[in-house]
Amino acid sequence: MTAPPVVLLVDDEPHILSSLSRSLRREGWTLRTADGPTAALEILRSEAVMLIVSDQKMPDGNGLDLLAAAGACRPGIRRVLLTGWPEMLTAGELDAAGIDAVLPKPWEDTVLKETLRSLL
Amino acid sequence: MRDRTTPPRLLIVSDDADELVRAIHGASYAWRLEIVGDLELAGAALAGADVWALDADAVGTDAIPWVRRARAVPGIVWQRTPSDAGELNAYRAGARGVHGAADDCLGAIAQLLDDVARSPQRTEESDAFPELTRDIIETMNSAVWVVDEDARIRFANPTAAAIVGMDADELVGLPVTHFFRTGAREDVPILQAIDHGVRLRGTEAVLTRDDGRVVPIGLSCAPLMGTEAGRGAVVIFQDLTEIKQLEQQVLQAEKMASIGQLAAGVAHEINNPMGFIHANLCQLTEYTADLGRVWERVESLRKAAGGERVDPQALRAAATELDTIVDEVDAAFLLDDFGKAIHESLDGSERIRTIVQDLRAFSHQDTAERAMTDVNKALDSTANIVWTMMKHAVKLVKNYGEIPPIQAFPVPLKQVFMNLMVNAYQAIEERAVLDPTHRGEIRLRTEVADGGVRVTVVDNGCGMAADVLPRIFDPFYTTKEVGVGTGLGLSTSYNLVERHGGRLDVESIEGQGASFIVWVPIEAPL
Repeated sequence: MTAPPVVLLVDDEPHILSSLSRSLRREGWTLRTADGPTAALEILRSEAVMLIVSDQKMPDGNGLDLLAAAGACRPGIRRVLLTGWPEMLTAGELDAAGIDAVLPKPWEDTVLKETLRSLL
Repeated sequence: MRDRTTPPRLLIVSDDADELVRAIHGASYAWRLEIVGDLELAGAALAGADVWALDADAVGTDAIPWVRRARAVPGIVWQRTPSDAGELNAYRAGARGVHGAADDCLGAIAQLLDDVARSPQRTEESDAFPELTRDIIETMNSAVWVVDEDARIRFANPTAAAIVGMDADELVGLPVTHFFRTGAREDVPILQAIDHGVRLRGTEAVLTRDDGRVVPIGLSCAPLMGTEAGRGAVVIFQDLTEIKQLEQQVLQAEKMASIGQLAAGVAHEINNPMGFIHANLCQLTEYTADLGRVWERVESLRKAAGGERVDPQALRAAATELDTIVDEVDAAFLLDDFGKAIHESLDGSERIRTIVQDLRAFSHQDTAERAMTDVNKALDSTANIVWTMMKHAVKLVKNYGEIPPIQAFPVPLKQVFMNLMVNAYQAIEERAVLDPTHRGEIRLRTEVADGGVRVTVVDNGCGMAADVLPRIFDPFYTTKEVGVGTGLGLSTSYNLVERHGGRLDVESIEGQGASFIVWVPIEAPL
């Protein structure tokens, strides 16, 4: 049996991490959380993360930069950006960071689950 | 002084006067035109002019100081792009009119020239002076009262009668206190002038009419000495209602502009809690369904255990089913996490509530009343709301001292704090463009000083050059790019602090940051 996929959730708001984990707890994935890009990169270096979901605006860096760095660190990783202002980002920016999907904030639970499932 | 046989001289200050000149020629006005493209030359040319027209769009922010210097000669401002605030400042500086269309300018200029031709300086017939003086007083647009030493009105011109809503005859004999009902005798500026022979110029006061309407007025007052009537005073005043309304509009517009800048930050702050509250509610719906399945098995078990004859086999089966479902839904986790999800959601809704409350404090229209104000609280709630737009770029350091409540206008005071913090943030952003590693910091300090409360807002942004500092409180002066600042934030703040009888000072080192120091007295000045 293969090990369950590792999913990394990144947001500076602990309650967001907590509610994301709540939504995804039955998916059978190993969930990891980080409160910002610095902590996320540490986890990325040490663990075989397959999917990363990141907030855009965080005090120690933005989500686009983190997701671009995640791709460099773990080639083939799937990348999802969670943002309240999806319309502020251009297709060019999303492509450059290698984003697979953008999810709005607040998100619909079912859309979140379906999007992530489709990427794994 | 102009010889009447020669055509009047009109000075046009504009670098793009074609439209106006064409209109003048089209209307066949016999004016001698002198067209000057910049303000420095305009100063010299003013000496020979009978009337001037200044193109505000051509000269920009320097227009107002020039109008102030030129006010001895009548003139108008040609303002092709309408702006309430620009108009207001032009009138205040002494312009006789502000017009957008070239044709309106011509009409106003012709009227001014008529007035100039009829004015007393233009006549040599000194015999006619008393009659002429009366004509002027009767027709002038300012209200005139002559009051005797008992502060009774001895004379009132038609404008004065119109402002108070009575006939001039009815006014004669009434004490001036009839119209100034608020406060004690020493609060009525005219009485001060009569009692102490004080000269007043441009004092603002509020006059109450017989029909109860209050009229804000600007008044000047000079003591009369050596007249037959003994001591008394001549009082000249203008109705400031419209100017006050314009001022209010400008203030409100400025406030809304700052709030617009805040909106994005506030929306982000509200969106985060909304995000997890919404997700938690979805999740709790699932939890409820799972716990419902547990409850069904509990019901079955109760049924198997109740009744007259208990079937041990059925009872055991029901208990096993309950065990299975409890494990399947992980009931212990659900119960524990149910509480956590509710607790976190409550925390989020509390955060939204605080933001909305802080924001609401700004939506109130300003009131004319002072109220006991806790400056620390006013500063803190403003800081919280303003910080939402900058929390990703700026560290906020609060150092609030123990200060007594002061008599202040709470909303304007908050607006000053908001303007200063937004200004500090913009300075930090500007510095960050040059140095992306720079960590922005805004420090807020409050303390008691010199019988007042001092609030200092210090930033480590780009700072300002020494030659810029003297101008930053001027209206429409801005160093920011178009669209970033209205150029009114600091001048509005300055006026609002002045309204408290306080001071707004600035210190800055270019490239290193700035300190803005607000000082307001604890006791409201009379």
